[in-house]
Amino acid sequence: MVNWPDYWNPKTETMPKDELRALQLVKLQRTVARAWETSPFHRRLYEQAGVTPDQIQTLDDIRKLPFMTRADWMDNQAKLPLFGDLITRPREEAIRYHLTSGTSGRQPLRVLDSRKDWSWIAEQWCYGFWGFGVRPTDTVFFAFSYGSFIGFWGAHYCCEKMGCLVLPSGNMTTEGRVKQIVEMGATVVCATPTYALRMGQVAQQLGIDLRNDGRVRRVIVSGEPAVPATKRMIEDMWGGICGDTAGMTEIGTIMIFECEKQPGGTHIIEDHFIEEVIDPDTGEPCDYGQRGERVVTSFGRGFIPLIRYRTKDLVMKVPYTTCSCGRTGDLYDGGILGRVDDMKLIRGTNVYPRAVEAILREYSEVEEFQIVLTREDNIRDEITVQIELKPGYADDSWAGLQSKLGKDLADNHEGLRFNVARAGEGELPRFELKAKRLQDLRDQ
Amino acid sequence: MTDQTTDLLGKELTDDEKELLDLYARLKTMSAREDLAPCALMNVRQAMVMLWNVCTDLELIYEEPGVD
Repeated sequence: MVNWPDYWNPKTETMPKDELRALQLVKLQRTVARAWETSPFHRRLYEQAGVTPDQIQTLDDIRKLPFMTRADWMDNQAKLPLFGDLITRPREEAIRYHLTSGTSGRQPLRVLDSRKDWSWIAEQWCYGFWGFGVRPTDTVFFAFSYGSFIGFWGAHYCCEKMGCLVLPSGNMTTEGRVKQIVEMGATVVCATPTYALRMGQVAQQLGIDLRNDGRVRRVIVSGEPAVPATKRMIEDMWGGICGDTAGMTEIGTIMIFECEKQPGGTHIIEDHFIEEVIDPDTGEPCDYGQRGERVVTSFGRGFIPLIRYRTKDLVMKVPYTTCSCGRTGDLYDGGILGRVDDMKLIRGTNVYPRAVEAILREYSEVEEFQIVLTREDNIRDEITVQIELKPGYADDSWAGLQSKLGKDLADNHEGLRFNVARAGEGELPRFELKAKRLQDLRDQ
Repeated sequence: MTDQTTDLLGKELTDDEKELLDLYARLKTMSAREDLAPCALMNVRQAMVMLWNVCTDLELIYEEPGVD
């Protein structure tokens, strides 16, 4: 039995903070210089802002650099199809092509990766998987469709590198996936939080008790914010611990992961990324404990420099001392909390879909839900939560549950009245990748 | 053998780090050759990339990631 260390890379994961900062400065200076020299997009961006690479003398100097946005990237690719002049290498040197998921209905972003980029992408997942306790003896099941969306691709290669037995499920049905997880004795399952719940529900319908019939000891989720109540539901269903990770196609991989201590947040991989949190309105930096927009600078992807990229992810950074694991990477408390543009204003009250989900997931009777926003008589905004209950729920209990849910939702939203409606069994949509549980019909 | 003696933060390299750097340098040189059989060249490049990953993780190098 090998006595493995707790860290994938002990040298940097436990590096004193001042050294980590010094390392980030070295990498930032070289990254900016490379972008200046090899990416016409970045050269233009910096020339317009009147900044040159030699002006980056301290880490705080990062604020001299202009932000990069998704809109900039999309415009650049639209003007110069297919990839724009953001990329630093000829297309022939790439080995991978991926697209953003396009769930928001916008034009997807196109990305290319070199051999080194792709290897680096898998490497970041190694930090996360190892940190959450995955080891070479594990059997890892990926509930993932292996298409042009980058999703768990990097995690698959990470697990191969670590020596795990990897089970790719491609286009299998949910039923088929559940059966294979049990048959093969998978010890780790990777999915979106929504789909981890879905597989659990299907297992119940098949008469499979995942806690006793399966061997899963870890469920690793990504692709959506994972609220604590959802994670607890997943742990109850699967009988293993649930760990959060988050990444994005724009960087190709994850930049944060939850360690085995489950501190209620996700560590930043600070030797490969600089993560800033800013006020989305002013662009000014937020302190520890303040919610703001996540801005990422990546040191790893050679084909596409990503420097001060505004993600629109809503986060709250807390110091590394919040966790007892020994890593010196700071954390995002609660992982990704949502999107800064997710907030909906209903009759003067701010509503975040993730906050609604956190309340609904506290009710074990709730199987699935949808939030529907409408405008009545062209004036009054209404919010309705459609609830699908677990099979076998007693009909005569609905009125009590409806009232309790309505009160709970209102109490957490400054008294805002929520309509709570019951949906029929199987009526609401289910999701494999990113769930869409909010329909805003007000402008239709 | 590589003549590099310190990492990116100026710390002395350990013997293991020197060996990893040396392996990377040798694989990098081989990766640039065009006279090798495809089976040799492509596998050497894959191996070189793996060593690039280690040397980057350990802060021994910070080279252009996009170039094979």
